[in-house]
Amino acid sequence: MVLGTYKEVVAARSTDKQIQKIAQDGGIVSGLFCYALDEKLIDGAVVAGPTDVMWKPEPMVAMSSDEILAAAGTKYTFSPNVWMLKKAVRQYGLEKVGTVAIPCQSMGIRKMQSYPFGVRFLADKIALMLGIFCMENFPYESLRTFISEKAGVDFDLVEKMDIGKGKFWIQTADELLSIPLKETHGYEQSGCKVCLDYVAELADVSTGSVGTPDGWSTVFVRTDAGDTIFKQAVEAGVIETKPMDDVKPGLGLLEKLATDKKTKAMKVIDERKAMGLPVPFKGSGEKEDPLANV
Amino acid sequence: MSEKIVISPTSRQEGHAELVMEVDDEGIVTKGRYFSITPVRGLEKMVTGKAPETAPVMVQRICGVCPIPHTLASVEAMDDSLGIEIPKAARQLRELTLAAHDINSHAIHHFLIAPDVVPENLFATAVESVSEIRKTAQYVVDMVAGEGIHPSDVRIGGMASNISEVARKRLYARLKQLKPKLDAHVELIIGLVADKGFPKGLGVTNAPTLATDKLYGDRDNFDLDRFTEIMPESWYDDPEVAKRACSTIPLYDGSNVEVGPRARASVYGGFNERGVVAQHVARALEMKTALSKAIDILGELDTSAPVMADFDVTGTNKLGVGAIEGPRGMDVHMAQVADGKTQFYSCLVPTTWNIPTMGPATEGFHHEFGPHVIRAYDPCLSCATHMIVIDDEDRSILKNEMVRI
Repeated sequence: MVLGTYKEVVAARSTDKQIQKIAQDGGIVSGLFCYALDEKLIDGAVVAGPTDVMWKPEPMVAMSSDEILAAAGTKYTFSPNVWMLKKAVRQYGLEKVGTVAIPCQSMGIRKMQSYPFGVRFLADKIALMLGIFCMENFPYESLRTFISEKAGVDFDLVEKMDIGKGKFWIQTADELLSIPLKETHGYEQSGCKVCLDYVAELADVSTGSVGTPDGWSTVFVRTDAGDTIFKQAVEAGVIETKPMDDVKPGLGLLEKLATDKKTKAMKVIDERKAMGLPVPFKGSGEKEDPLANV
Repeated sequence: MSEKIVISPTSRQEGHAELVMEVDDEGIVTKGRYFSITPVRGLEKMVTGKAPETAPVMVQRICGVCPIPHTLASVEAMDDSLGIEIPKAARQLRELTLAAHDINSHAIHHFLIAPDVVPENLFATAVESVSEIRKTAQYVVDMVAGEGIHPSDVRIGGMASNISEVARKRLYARLKQLKPKLDAHVELIIGLVADKGFPKGLGVTNAPTLATDKLYGDRDNFDLDRFTEIMPESWYDDPEVAKRACSTIPLYDGSNVEVGPRARASVYGGFNERGVVAQHVARALEMKTALSKAIDILGELDTSAPVMADFDVTGTNKLGVGAIEGPRGMDVHMAQVADGKTQFYSCLVPTTWNIPTMGPATEGFHHEFGPHVIRAYDPCLSCATHMIVIDDEDRSILKNEMVRI
């Protein structure tokens, strides 16, 4: 179960041409949020919004499709969305909140829902949590450093970043550059080294590019809440799907990458445990499935 | 021959206090003394020497019953000491927070007096009504001030943030929906208090009323020169009581006073009734006033307006005064800031004002009415304690030296 529990996995993309143009891959997050907002299934969503500084996102509460679209696309550095959730239900007055989270954030949100210290009346207001696949995440300064130093591109000229085929891709207006992923190691957040979750196992719906062709996304539908909204969106024609078996490279690649991430992290966890360091996960000898995200 | 009736601690109120009544042969109270036996909190001392922003965060933890007035009085005192003019929208949000809190707090008091005035067949109705009102009122405080109990967003210089337009509309709609429910609740409580048939004149005293505003509070109406504070042993003529009383006795123009909803209604609303029934009626009616005000503010609020002033935290050691009309009465905090640190901090809290008035208010009636008289003031004692017990054996209190909470 390296991909977590799920009801269904499909290849999918947003049918909206505008979303297809600006989204990272299949535009699933943007498409689902826009649909959920339009249908009033959520009354706002905490997303990684743009700021004055290029590629430095900040959490924002989007309450319209336009605001969702302004935040589209992957940023490879943190947006502390969890921090904004409380504000969304307080000052913004939202009662059905959507949010997008990377695996570590989705773990934090689920934990917060189970133990709501300091977040009274928030747990039951999270209506839709969309998770995104994540191998690792870079601090802003790391990202800026390896792009400007290793790829030799001014950070401000970058139009899109992507990870795929073992490389970190940097798209500018007139060229496509890449850095082997190996060379980005050491720049990631230190917490990523012990992270056992590649595919946002605790989200309602999780999605990412790996496993499907360009322009499409792999989508795991995990919970009842996620299932309801995703099915409605497909029925409404906002999202189109294909069976996972019909696309290449398919689930095999996801399983391989998830296993790799977990195996590597477990090694670090076991090492740290052996040294007596605190790690918020069980050691491989302490659980039935040594790769379980616990 | 006189007998002493002691109720310790008095019940269905916040904190611990004792009511000592001397009664005659017929059980009529000839002398009533009410005093706090709640241990000292020490918060005034704790905030001294720290950054001014520390004070509102800490003093709101004096008590979980009225953290909102303490926070507001604290930021108002700091605003005054630092010479800050807060933006209009910030003032509206503060007033809205307090209005909602007033409704919530008065509703809690109705829960506390329910065993006294509500007959069994209406008990569930009354308690449900209280819960419904509290839920909506606290929802407002949650959204406007960040947290319902210890508000995080009431700040020196204004508020941490304005609310969104969605929140404004939602709150407006909720409060409009609450109005008929609240009106029915107020009618129910006033009716039940009347049905209880308290003897005429119960709880009537000659103590003057003191209030600074109809609802919010206004430091210009509190004259520090007219205020004095004496030690309990100069006030209570019973040495046993004087030794154990934990609160100082604040006087205005040399007299003990009454603060609270009835005092506000009498100073600003031409409400002339006095005594227990009048206090219950004034408190219930104030819920309606507070709700109308909250609805008005939500109707007018500009959610795009700034809510935080620019300010310098250094300070000039000016004595800043924050006067807030809390649910139980006028809550005055005083602060001096210099060199970026709080140099002096003092709280003159609602129940402290009422304590010397409450005891004598029990006089002239049977001692069985004593607790009803006390409860009509909705006393809340934890913030009222300013003294410390030095001898645990005989429970005597530190003498002639005020310990600042």
